[in-house]
Amino acid sequence: MPRSTTSLPEFSTSVKLKYVKLGYQYLVNNFLAFLLVPVMISVALELIRLGPEEILGLWNSLHLDLIQIMCSVFVIVFVATVYFMSRPRPVYLVDYACFKPPLTCRVPFSTFMEHSRINNKDEKSVRFQMRILERSGLGEETCLPPAIHYIPPTPTMETSRAEAQLVIFSAIDELLKKTGLKPKDIDILVVNCSLFSPTPSLSAMIINKYKLRSNVRSFNLSGMGCSAGLISIDLARDLLQVHPRSNAIVVSTEIITPNYYQGKERAMLLPNCLFRMGAAAILLSNRRREARRAKYRLVRVVRTHKGADDRAYRCVYEEEDSEGISGINLSKDLMAIAGEALKSNITTIGPLVLPMSEQLLFFLSLVGRKLINPKWKPYIPDFKQAFEHFCIHAGGRAVIDELQKNLDLSPQHVEASRMTLHRFGNTSSSSLWYELNYIESKGRMRRGDRVWQIGFGSGFKCNSAVWKCLRTVKTPVEGPWSDCIDRYPVDIPEVVKL
Amino acid sequence: MVPSLSDEAMGVELEKSAVYGHKFSTVVPAEATGDAVTRELTNMDLIMKLHYLRAVYYFKQSEVVDGLAITDLKEPMFPWLNVYYPVTGRIRTEAGSRPLIKCNDCGLRIIEAKCSRTLEEWLSVEDSSRWRPLVPEKVLGPELHFSPLVYIQFTRFKCGGMAIGYSWAHLLGDAVSATNCINLWGKFLKGNPSLETLRLSNHQKKAESPAKHVKAPQKPVPVKQVKLAGECWQAPDTCKMATCSFKIAETDLKKMQGEKQNHVPPFAMISALIWKCLAKNGNDRESKSATICRNSTSLKSSDMLTNNLKASTITLDSSAANIDLLELATLILKHELDELESIDELIDRNSGKPDFVLYGANLTFIDMEGIDLYGLELKGQTPVQVDYNIDGIGDEGAVLVLQGRGRTDLTGSIQERTVMVTLPEDQINQLRGVLSSEFGIA
Repeated sequence: MPRSTTSLPEFSTSVKLKYVKLGYQYLVNNFLAFLLVPVMISVALELIRLGPEEILGLWNSLHLDLIQIMCSVFVIVFVATVYFMSRPRPVYLVDYACFKPPLTCRVPFSTFMEHSRINNKDEKSVRFQMRILERSGLGEETCLPPAIHYIPPTPTMETSRAEAQLVIFSAIDELLKKTGLKPKDIDILVVNCSLFSPTPSLSAMIINKYKLRSNVRSFNLSGMGCSAGLISIDLARDLLQVHPRSNAIVVSTEIITPNYYQGKERAMLLPNCLFRMGAAAILLSNRRREARRAKYRLVRVVRTHKGADDRAYRCVYEEEDSEGISGINLSKDLMAIAGEALKSNITTIGPLVLPMSEQLLFFLSLVGRKLINPKWKPYIPDFKQAFEHFCIHAGGRAVIDELQKNLDLSPQHVEASRMTLHRFGNTSSSSLWYELNYIESKGRMRRGDRVWQIGFGSGFKCNSAVWKCLRTVKTPVEGPWSDCIDRYPVDIPEVVKL
Repeated sequence: MVPSLSDEAMGVELEKSAVYGHKFSTVVPAEATGDAVTRELTNMDLIMKLHYLRAVYYFKQSEVVDGLAITDLKEPMFPWLNVYYPVTGRIRTEAGSRPLIKCNDCGLRIIEAKCSRTLEEWLSVEDSSRWRPLVPEKVLGPELHFSPLVYIQFTRFKCGGMAIGYSWAHLLGDAVSATNCINLWGKFLKGNPSLETLRLSNHQKKAESPAKHVKAPQKPVPVKQVKLAGECWQAPDTCKMATCSFKIAETDLKKMQGEKQNHVPPFAMISALIWKCLAKNGNDRESKSATICRNSTSLKSSDMLTNNLKASTITLDSSAANIDLLELATLILKHELDELESIDELIDRNSGKPDFVLYGANLTFIDMEGIDLYGLELKGQTPVQVDYNIDGIGDEGAVLVLQGRGRTDLTGSIQERTVMVTLPEDQINQLRGVLSSEFGIA
């Protein structure tokens, strides 16, 4: 009995608060409209009151002659032209394709653990890997390349290239099929793969396979970590500003074969447990006619680099361990640094995407903290107002948990990230595209929706991209999720019993 | 240095080093089996747990074999293991409870190797241990939780021929199950077989039946309790065993029977033959009892992985040497085999202890005639030869009678049987001597 009486006022206050918030948002976001409407009404009333003859009289009293009229018209036209020419070219995402790993590459937990025990004689390292795997959020269907299925793994130049060809060519073949694009029409090619950088480059490998034109503008970004996918998008966008009527293909991938750590250092064993095969190919274009069939338009890319800080610079560091085996060392304060990088990125992107209501509140809270009382809690803007969908890099369970907490997101908002981590593992720069595909496959992508892709990577970098959906994506969607989307979402336990 | 193939002991050592370049990997089922799927081990499974089946299938060089790269061989294994997912599991032993198989998709171990000899050279060595380097000699343990139940080795000969070595832990199923399993892989290699008849019965925990009134055993139980040496599930060898093999043509067997109307089938004849020869050796170890073992080839379609053996012990009144060959053979033929229900009382319901051997507890004659050994096809190509053996045989020895590959000769088609004999070393040589002198075999 007492419970219901106390809950009722709580309920009513929360409802009241909700309406107050809604009202405030409507008011501030449409402030100009609210101002303009009364002004327009009064002008209209005044005009009606004056009558046509008086208006004509007013016009004649201005004593305008032909030259002045022509000059004013000329000025107006000139200003309009400059305005339209200086606007950036819209960049459309026509379509994209993700690599679906074959079943022959599947690695169940038990197989991973058994191989670890055989390869790695150190008991403690094996137990550590098991603990990581139990809490990783990965599922039983993630895939590793064929060379890693050997005991011990056999990473050679040949097997690395074979993996690169498998993942990249599959993704590009699918993209070309989906979009009907001919390889001869590709003007710009950007490939990013952080840890494998052969000569000739992966972009040259693509040009050779698909027989691209000799004047294609190709770029190969290596060493830039898991956020390199958005860096490639940024580069492609800049190039599309300079070159009119062009198509750009962006390929994001990470090649696992040469980078499987075979030593005992615990901090370096972590990537083995999380990184898996994956690749994505994206077609961007600035051609007007693609606007009709494009899925998304790129609204904004914001890049934040914390490399100036030594701690951030060293937090993901490739080095040799005490036995001379090289691997990637992840430092213990990775999450803290990721949080700071995110805050920095949000501070830049916030004013560009948030509605006025949120920005005003943030500004007021900032002023209040500076002038009135430093002890006030900082106001975290509600990004759910700005975006319908969130694609958070599936770097690991901890990353997703941290971002969910920081941005105050609901479980449904981070569902795409968690499920991608479960089904595909950490596929590095291409994970954002698997997540986007998940949202589409679930039938949640509608026209007008805005998507926020956030990537983190070594450096330490935090990059964001904002997309706006141009047409509702109909299910079923052909892609890596097509055979398993009905099984998702799954409930991922905190700790999987191995 | 050309190895002398006639010196068999030397030959085996050299053959071991002729196989090199081993590479290990694992294949798993294509789809996740799911959480916490287990397979209970029946009493029969636990009795057989110290035995391992080792088979080697030899394929001649051909375009088909040349065109099969390791990826082509591995690819059909993934959907195949979807059907046979328990073989990819691992043993789980908790203190105080029965061992079982946790179906955790851990996988089969695949080994790739090369051989510096040609297939012809290899097969010309009649030494019955020639198959040893071509199939892994692994047993379960010392880490039971991480020991694969099945191994497959692909060895490429210098000429382009290939040997497929197949090691199977007997607790998974009998020779019929093992052979059907690998033959299904061959079908997947060719294309997608129709899977309507394939269903696995998942052994569930048997309901606790009320304590049976223990009858005094009328027949001697054909198993022997052993004590394990260490953590491995391996029969302790108290004496050195050796194997020998030879082929007997059906026509030869018919000749031995004379002009009778109803011929005794080959298995009974061969068993009687060997028993007599061993008895003739006249040493202390000569036993008056032997176990006959038969696999059930009439497979119920719902039981693809099962230990469905029938075994029973014959006890003779006098030494086998004194009994006429045909009479002994008829005795063996007519002897009734039972379902080994009595073993239920032997195995402790709770912990699955103690440890037993079936093959070799007494002198064991194992009938493997109905098994489709030559049914493993690589895209239509059948093996030229199959070597088969069982590891973990007890001290009394065992005799396997296998279907030989039917050949056609000038005289017509020849059906023959391959006989693999595992006995203590000293008995093997004597047996050979008797067989060649009295019956002109080997």
